[in-house]
Amino acid sequence: MPEGMIEFREVTKRYGGLVANDRLSLTIRRGELMTLLGPSGCGKTTSLRCLTGYIRPDGGRILIDGKDVTDLPTHQRELGMVFQNFALFPHMNVWDNVAFPLMIRNAPKDQRAEQVGDALRLVRLEGYQGHFPRQLSGGQQQRVGLARALVYRPKVLLLDEPLSNLDAKLREEMRFEIKEVVTRLGITAMYVTHDQAEALALSDRVAIMNRGRLEQVGTPEEIYEQPQSRFVAEFIGLSNFLEGSVQTVDGDQMVVQAQHLRVRTAALPRVAPGQRVVLFVRPNEIEIRPRQEPGVPNLFEARVEKATYLGDTMDYRLTLGQGLDLRVQTDARNRHDQGAAVWLQLPRVRSWIAEKQ
Amino acid sequence: MRTLARAYLRGLWDGKLVLGYTLLLSFSLLIIAPFLMILLRSVGKGWFGRLWFPPQLTLDWYRWAIEVGNIPEVMKNTLIIGVIAVAVSTVIGIFAGWAFGRRRMPGKEFLMAIVLLPRMIPPITYALGVAKIFYTLDLVDTYLGVALAHVSVCAPYAILVLATTFEALDERVLEAAGVCGANTLKRFFYVVLPLIMPGILASMIFSFTHSYNEFTLTLLTYGPHTVTLPVRTYLAVGDGYWEITSAMAVIMVLPSLLILAMIQRRAKPERLVGGFKGV
Repeated sequence: MPEGMIEFREVTKRYGGLVANDRLSLTIRRGELMTLLGPSGCGKTTSLRCLTGYIRPDGGRILIDGKDVTDLPTHQRELGMVFQNFALFPHMNVWDNVAFPLMIRNAPKDQRAEQVGDALRLVRLEGYQGHFPRQLSGGQQQRVGLARALVYRPKVLLLDEPLSNLDAKLREEMRFEIKEVVTRLGITAMYVTHDQAEALALSDRVAIMNRGRLEQVGTPEEIYEQPQSRFVAEFIGLSNFLEGSVQTVDGDQMVVQAQHLRVRTAALPRVAPGQRVVLFVRPNEIEIRPRQEPGVPNLFEARVEKATYLGDTMDYRLTLGQGLDLRVQTDARNRHDQGAAVWLQLPRVRSWIAEKQ
Repeated sequence: MRTLARAYLRGLWDGKLVLGYTLLLSFSLLIIAPFLMILLRSVGKGWFGRLWFPPQLTLDWYRWAIEVGNIPEVMKNTLIIGVIAVAVSTVIGIFAGWAFGRRRMPGKEFLMAIVLLPRMIPPITYALGVAKIFYTLDLVDTYLGVALAHVSVCAPYAILVLATTFEALDERVLEAAGVCGANTLKRFFYVVLPLIMPGILASMIFSFTHSYNEFTLTLLTYGPHTVTLPVRTYLAVGDGYWEITSAMAVIMVLPSLLILAMIQRRAKPERLVGGFKGV
């Protein structure tokens, strides 16, 4: 039994001069919930549509459960899919919508009744069998969509931005509901979204796409804690970037001069003085201290430019002089007034070699 | 003072209501009066001069209309022509409507304008041209000929209605059916057909009523074997028998009423025209 349930092997798709998928290789493991995350136009939808067979890749192969499906038509790929606009059959009631995949497969009547009942129970829609899609709320319609996708126990569940047509509060509830259902069934799922919070909350692993290529694949924690490129850091969560050049390298430590700041951080492998690097700090990883404390590394003087109260957190924009601004988020109990002089401490600074522009 | 003002305003408001109802009633009468007149005419006997109501009621004029006016034969012609016109316009409507509703093509607006042209220019102008062509092609006084003339009126409606229906057909829903395991044939029968059926029915009803009521085009293409109800009624006016003409007119209205009742009960008109929107 191959470990990969869904496998993209060097899949390429071009639209005229635009390369939507550029030799994309990705393996989704059995029972894993993988999210394809990226801004619109990054090629995630193209990948999904190559997988469903709705479009044919120009090159590369796609495997489901070890079987090459690249040349199979959509209806033979044995998939379950949840759509952004729900895509329920408007002329069928909830029961018939959910029973559709079974009806197409000529499943016997009693088995049909049992499986549809199970699926509706799974999404907590018992009692709605006779309703038509237009009589249901968005959240209910999407749950019907989920039941329809799962009813015949497909090997693979695909979710195409299933929550973006719902309002914010419902979106958060449905996130956990989908996660729970997928985990309980142990089904392999590919989830496509542009919403990073959704991706972090739901996924076993996240694949971040940019301009038709994979930027990074990893667990939500890896993606957030160790972004491998500026694009990933920028896309996931909030971030501050400082450009500078390496001053000295001392064992596993280096000192970077970024404008008038001397920042001490872990050394990059094979780095030499003079190398241009990008420093990266999350706003919630910066500490604000009221006074200078001797012996503490990476402590810089700053002034509070703007303080915004966000309920659970305070959002500060601090200026360090010479046009250097940092965004900092702290606990709401840690209050500093606008205009106050403070000291910043950067306990954790990550860095990459700067890209040549 | 204030109560007085309020009473005055209320009076004005009531007055407005009275005025509104009067206007509404007059308007209804305007619509209904001709029907009432024809209906009374068709059953009245010895109704001359300034009498408000016929002195005697009779069904004789209907018997006359049916026997002398040869209404059964005429009705048969009308229906056959109607069925041919509906069949041809629906087929045209399905193909053209699909192209207009679902395909991107250059000059779409221009083509649509051409399709609508027969409805925009005066019918008699158009009918004269049609008549000339039909004489050359020997299509005058044939069922097919008259029906084809009607198609020029029916097809634009069929195309418009079906283009809207096909436009409303959600590509994603078809894709969903595919993912669910339905091949092209099953997608068509279980999803596409049920979704476009209301539109096709609407287009057929529109086409039929237009063919059934068509007068100008029929007048210039009919012959002794293809007299239709509107033409027969018109000819009877020329013969001078107002009572028999009225009876024919009433008979002619009946199928239209039947269709109207059918639409009202069987299908919601808004669903017929728009297909399924807002899914």
